[in-house]
Amino acid sequence: MYNYTTFDKDFVATRAAQFRDQVQRRIEGSLTEDEFKPLRLMNGLYLLLHAYMLRVAIPYGTLNSRQMEALADIADRWDKGYAHFSTRQNIQFHWPKLPDVPDILAALAVDNMHAIQTSGACIRAVTADHFAGAAADELADPRPTAELVRQWSTDHPEFAFLPRKFKVAVTGSTQDRAVTKFHDIGLRLVQNKTGMPGYEVLVGGGFGRTPMIGQVLRGFLHQADLLPYLEAILQVYNQIGRRDNKYKARIKITLHEHGLEDIRQRVEENFALQRARFDGADQIILARIESDFTPPAFKTASTSCFGNHLAQNPAFNAFTKTNLHPHKNPDYAIVTVSLKAHGATPGDASSAQMRALADIAKHWSHDELRVSHEQNIVLPHVHKGDLPKVYKALQATGLATANIGLISDLIACPGMDYCDLATARSTNVAQRIALRFDALKQEHAIGPLKIKISGCINACGHHHAGHIGILGLEKAGAESYQITLGGDGSQTAAIGKPTGKGFSTDEIVPAIERLIKAYLAVRHDASEAFLTTFRRLGPAPFKAALYPLKDTHNEL
Amino acid sequence: MSFENPRLPLSAQITALNKRFQNTDTSEMLRHIMADPHFERLALVSSFGADSVVLLDMVAKIDRTLPVLFIDTEMLFHQTLAYQQKLAADLGLQDLRRISPSRETVLERDFENLLHRSDTNACCTLRKTEPLARALAGFKGWISGRKRYQGDARATIQLFEADTEQRIKINPLAHWSRDDLARYIATHNLPRHPLVAKGFKSIGCAPCTTPSGTVSDERAGRWEGQGKTECGIHFDLQSAAPAIVTDAGFADEDWTGGFHGFGALPTLGAENNPALAVDLEGGFIVKNLLPWIAQIDLIRVDFPVFSDGRGFSLARQLRLLGFVGRLRAKGHILADQYAMARRSGFDEVEIDAALARRQPEPIWQARANWQARDYQNRLRQGA
Amino acid sequence: MTQISEPQTITANDLLTGEVVYLTKHGVWAHQHSDAVTFDHPDRAALCLEQVSSRDIAVVGPYLARAKIDHHQAVKPVHFRDAIRATGPSNRFIGKQASPA
Repeated sequence: MYNYTTFDKDFVATRAAQFRDQVQRRIEGSLTEDEFKPLRLMNGLYLLLHAYMLRVAIPYGTLNSRQMEALADIADRWDKGYAHFSTRQNIQFHWPKLPDVPDILAALAVDNMHAIQTSGACIRAVTADHFAGAAADELADPRPTAELVRQWSTDHPEFAFLPRKFKVAVTGSTQDRAVTKFHDIGLRLVQNKTGMPGYEVLVGGGFGRTPMIGQVLRGFLHQADLLPYLEAILQVYNQIGRRDNKYKARIKITLHEHGLEDIRQRVEENFALQRARFDGADQIILARIESDFTPPAFKTASTSCFGNHLAQNPAFNAFTKTNLHPHKNPDYAIVTVSLKAHGATPGDASSAQMRALADIAKHWSHDELRVSHEQNIVLPHVHKGDLPKVYKALQATGLATANIGLISDLIACPGMDYCDLATARSTNVAQRIALRFDALKQEHAIGPLKIKISGCINACGHHHAGHIGILGLEKAGAESYQITLGGDGSQTAAIGKPTGKGFSTDEIVPAIERLIKAYLAVRHDASEAFLTTFRRLGPAPFKAALYPLKDTHNEL
Repeated sequence: MSFENPRLPLSAQITALNKRFQNTDTSEMLRHIMADPHFERLALVSSFGADSVVLLDMVAKIDRTLPVLFIDTEMLFHQTLAYQQKLAADLGLQDLRRISPSRETVLERDFENLLHRSDTNACCTLRKTEPLARALAGFKGWISGRKRYQGDARATIQLFEADTEQRIKINPLAHWSRDDLARYIATHNLPRHPLVAKGFKSIGCAPCTTPSGTVSDERAGRWEGQGKTECGIHFDLQSAAPAIVTDAGFADEDWTGGFHGFGALPTLGAENNPALAVDLEGGFIVKNLLPWIAQIDLIRVDFPVFSDGRGFSLARQLRLLGFVGRLRAKGHILADQYAMARRSGFDEVEIDAALARRQPEPIWQARANWQARDYQNRLRQGA
Repeated sequence: MTQISEPQTITANDLLTGEVVYLTKHGVWAHQHSDAVTFDHPDRAALCLEQVSSRDIAVVGPYLARAKIDHHQAVKPVHFRDAIRATGPSNRFIGKQASPA
């Protein structure tokens, strides 16, 4: 894990002190709400429906046990005993009070955490593959690059007041778990023909009102050119990105309106100017960051009790089938802990659960935890011989749900239960779908399926990338849910297509049930996942199931 | 023990009281008055204005439960409301009563909130006098913070005065000077009203108060410029000169040469060109300036609103293309953005007087250390 | 002044706590929707909103919300968003619904 330097510590502490002063000036009245808002947003503080919300950065989703404990302490001391893990690998506290926020930031700084740039029209907290440094299929560790980008983008003087927010994601695997194609900039760690390390740079992906898949701006960028190249992209965007319409302000629209070639030319021209401003100091810092990410000292021990346990305990057996992922070290496994117990709010964890996770990580995951954008917690390095103990500990705190990758492992934004931008509730739909399919005892038979739910067009719930996407809207004063099909956030990225008119809050769960029934009826066999079947057959059989009264023969 | 005989007529009581306390320390006098059963029903009326903290502090030190009537005319500065909340909390006032005109009355008599323009006195009656009279019903006396040095109408006030036939008005600070107040505030380390730092000496309702300049009649700033089409505060702020902010603090404009728009740049000779300054928009295409760039002394980049960050990138590009002259950011820039401006290549910031008043010099100087804790610089020059 | 059949309330969030608040007939802010003053005249509602927007620094983001009077003469929100604001999150009973007036 990255170890904070004196510089980092000093920066974060000073920043917390500055915010204390800004809060004071707001309360005294010398800052207006209009002026205070971007300052508080830059420090992760929103004002939502019922209360303030503080979004704390978990850089590229990486935490140690002490940090997780500190977050649990904050939940107890300044919030209501729980927190919400977001689709941006961050954590949100939904009930802090304004005068307490400076104290919370000070507490975070003690454990090398902060809420900087988790909101606002700036470069947001960088995200990365949540299996980084652990996955068997990884080519290169994305975390050092992500940390370098974090340092470069933190408090960047030019880019704190961009036309709109700007998100960067990094992956080092062929299997893209970081959704890089749906970010303003997606970085893929690659090598050129001569084996030199570098990046493929994607630009202009995103969800929202106008979903777009990122395009390759540079097929290969030398590792040492990363920061000047990013600086060039951001400088071009900052000057020509639209500021007249917030729905047209993201770089995806700039790219769309000017064309890839035009943007590439501007960026390359600017890059030539920027390059000289970097003399190699950044690469020395990168090397130092890399040394912080050397793998932990994996232990050599027998894994036999794992096999024995599989035979004896069917629940444990089921858990290992869904919640484990292959680790680089064959004696180890990556454990994904589901925050989607059937009927629970996706991504919510109680302070007791957070402490239990910290404890488990301390004993059995080399002190490391990860937050996935799918709102689960990852224990990246668990020795297989320890898995039965980990499972038992998770069971004790209600975190042993065996549903990773299944229908009830759905992701959902907080929706109108909390969010002031939302047009409909989303967690409510998530809860009812999970409960329904749990009652049907069908989810293991259905197999891999990603349902993603957003409570408004801004798409924090990534519905465009859901195999089944659900978008909550308001129609004639009531909640209405539109279904999209065929979305995919991985390396085979696709934007889900709308099926037709929306469903009321009472109709949406039965509609999903009809959809699944249709899939089960038309799939080749149990090994053909929903998305594969959809790609083979197209939307017709699914639309027919969703809208049974409509004559769909012509479409078939 | 009662100091005065309640059976005496009020005027006689007042004469006696004035005589008795004429040489008594103010706190001491308050202690006696507040302990006197005759004044059992006593209230402090405070505007939470420029100097109100003195009397509030004295009273709170004697008895925090004394009713404090705060007249909120609903036309006050937001700073006053914030200050009132802060003081009430800091001093631990336990019976703060906010006195306001009823909403129905306001809707009836000042539907558009513009009565103060047409009839100042009627506005004061509606928002101040009547609500206060209602609130004081039932009190035997009230403490006010009026001072003689405040100007003509107050030059002769006494410690004790008759308010109505049954009620006494007490002015414990009547004989206090401006210096006395300042000394008390400094000695007790009391928080000042935020507008004091901005030049206000007496603070009432927002539309009718301006920062008054003279010491002799402080209240000159109140109801100043009545009858004009624009109320005082806006008039004053708009006419005032802008401030140039550098690491050294605020300064007046020192560039006397005027500014050219890009479209109106003069044709340049090879040498002996006059001093040249240019105004640019944030989205300016910097390449277009190349023919002139070595000849320009000062470039001023406009920030129409603080959330428009184009100017920061423009500054950086100007520096990258070799501009070495003075670079200034002008417009709606917050003190919190000062470090960003300096790090992007600006030398200075130009803000108008209204912004300079709201965000005074110390707030900007807090970021004069913009070179410290700079990640970008560290990534370029090592650590 | 035109009269509308549907009354309106003025609601906002408290600056310090962020909590949902409603303007009462006494001109102060209360936590319970049932205490909200209702405006029958849209012009008066708009004027009052303008007043609180410009001078009430203790609250953030005041706006006019549609309201209705139910059979028991109680003031209720019309829009489901305002109903959620008046009670708290529907998935967790920890908002206003957990601390009734």
